[in-house]
Amino acid sequence: MLLEIKGLTKYFGGLSAVKDFHMSVRQGEIVGLIGPNGAGKTTVFNLITGILQPDSGTITFEGKDITAKRPHEVAALGIARTFQLTPLFPFFTVLENVTACFHLHPRSGLLDTFFNTKKYRLNEARIREDALGILRMLGLERFKDEFAVNLPHGFQKLLGMARAMAVRPKLMLLDEPTSGMNWEEISNALSIIRKMRDGGLTIVLVEHNMEVIDICDRVVAMNFGQKIAEGTVQEIRENKEVVEAYLGGAHVA
Amino acid sequence: MKKRWLIVAAVVIVLALLPLFISSPYVIHILNLTFLYIVAATSFRTIVISGQFPLGHGAFMGIGAYASAMAAKWLGLSPWISIPFGTAVACAVGIVIGLPFARLRAVYYAMVSLFFNMGIVQVIHSLGRWSGGYSGLTGIPTLLGFSKTPYYFCFLFLCLLSILVLYRFEHSRIGITWKAIAQSYLIAWSVGINERFYRVFAVAIGCFFAGLVGALYAHYNGVIGTATFSFMATFMLLMFCVIGGMRSFLGPIIGTSVLVLVPEIFRSLKQFSPYLAAGIMIFVVFFLPQGLVSLPGLMLRKMGKRHAP
Repeated sequence: MLLEIKGLTKYFGGLSAVKDFHMSVRQGEIVGLIGPNGAGKTTVFNLITGILQPDSGTITFEGKDITAKRPHEVAALGIARTFQLTPLFPFFTVLENVTACFHLHPRSGLLDTFFNTKKYRLNEARIREDALGILRMLGLERFKDEFAVNLPHGFQKLLGMARAMAVRPKLMLLDEPTSGMNWEEISNALSIIRKMRDGGLTIVLVEHNMEVIDICDRVVAMNFGQKIAEGTVQEIRENKEVVEAYLGGAHVA
Repeated sequence: MKKRWLIVAAVVIVLALLPLFISSPYVIHILNLTFLYIVAATSFRTIVISGQFPLGHGAFMGIGAYASAMAAKWLGLSPWISIPFGTAVACAVGIVIGLPFARLRAVYYAMVSLFFNMGIVQVIHSLGRWSGGYSGLTGIPTLLGFSKTPYYFCFLFLCLLSILVLYRFEHSRIGITWKAIAQSYLIAWSVGINERFYRVFAVAIGCFFAGLVGALYAHYNGVIGTATFSFMATFMLLMFCVIGGMRSFLGPIIGTSVLVLVPEIFRSLKQFSPYLAAGIMIFVVFFLPQGLVSLPGLMLRKMGKRHAP
């Protein structure tokens, strides 16, 4: 088991954003996390990555307890994520957006960095090559010298994934990777997500769009901070509680 | 790239030979102060690029100045020892203050550091006889005697060295990391950047040079008062940066040179110099939001020539 979440609970004041949530992710899977607005999907991501601290429950990654870890420590263990709303560094070019994110590997010491030693220069050259490789894979290479804010929305979302790739993660958390994209962009993004999985990455993605969910091996459905169903895409589609959560009780009868 | 270094070398040579042609100690004095303020303003900007607005920067000049001056005057230390001591004290206080402050962002950071600046001034006042209180500290041992010219070479050298160090920081991965944190701390966290470490690191570097400037000033001037290190001094550094251009490394250097030297050129109108500074400020804010450093590029473009950014 790559990631194991047990009894995760988080209160915002009196409101339980996530309550007694269980979930596990196996190596090499694409797991979908779905649910209506406010169900607590992004909160689960924030709890995993240490941006929020849970009130109770444990999160283990590769057998290590990461519940109390700070965000940068979680990233160092190999969990990368994208964000729904802040996808990029606005004042950096597309290439700089990615190179700036190569903070962990390969790493140069402070002294190497300051004195511009050969080791540091070699590292930086390697980072540039790797960053270009990631951009090529995502089809962003032709924009490399453009300021990131000037990119169309769909490409900004892809750039968010490119940045997360720079962490060299084992587990990738994608927060609504296709929101606001048109159909062409969505199918492109999906083929990229598949490519990432084929490259050995494990992926958890938050989604609204039921069409996108098709690429998942397994789906976990949430409502009001709790898990209401888990299973294959087909099982989730036919699950009464899920349909009820999405459409409201009255429509189901 | 090569052309840029040639220009830098030419400027350095001209500056090194300049005292041969200047007989007026007053002009030398103004140039000495310019060198010190260039370092202070550049170190101010170093903290700014890490996403923090150090409106307490003047206080760290004060801490460096008073720590060094008091150590030299009351403990009898040589300025050669007390200046590194004062610098280290400013840097240490910067780290101690920087840690809790690193929880604050944007305007809250600016406000709290401004209060810190005002607080430090009061602390220095309250030290009474040891700091000279409201009337200032006099009789501070000088570094190189009373002639202005030796200081010129000393400050020119230290100024160039400091600028080189700060340039290296900004143009390495450390500077990139600072700028990344300033743009989005959430993304920075998510790629493994320890935000608190890098922010405190920037503050430590900035305060080190602020302390150095303060300590040098104390042993140059021989007399110090808290007015030199009040929040007005901090705002002056801010003005140097804004007028020169906050986005560019050259900004604070150009801004300081213009704002210190231009009023001196029109010295017969000295009583109007605050208005002159205010006029330059308004002009820059309205017509050159990127600062004076963007002026040559704009002019070239106006003249229809192609300009590589």
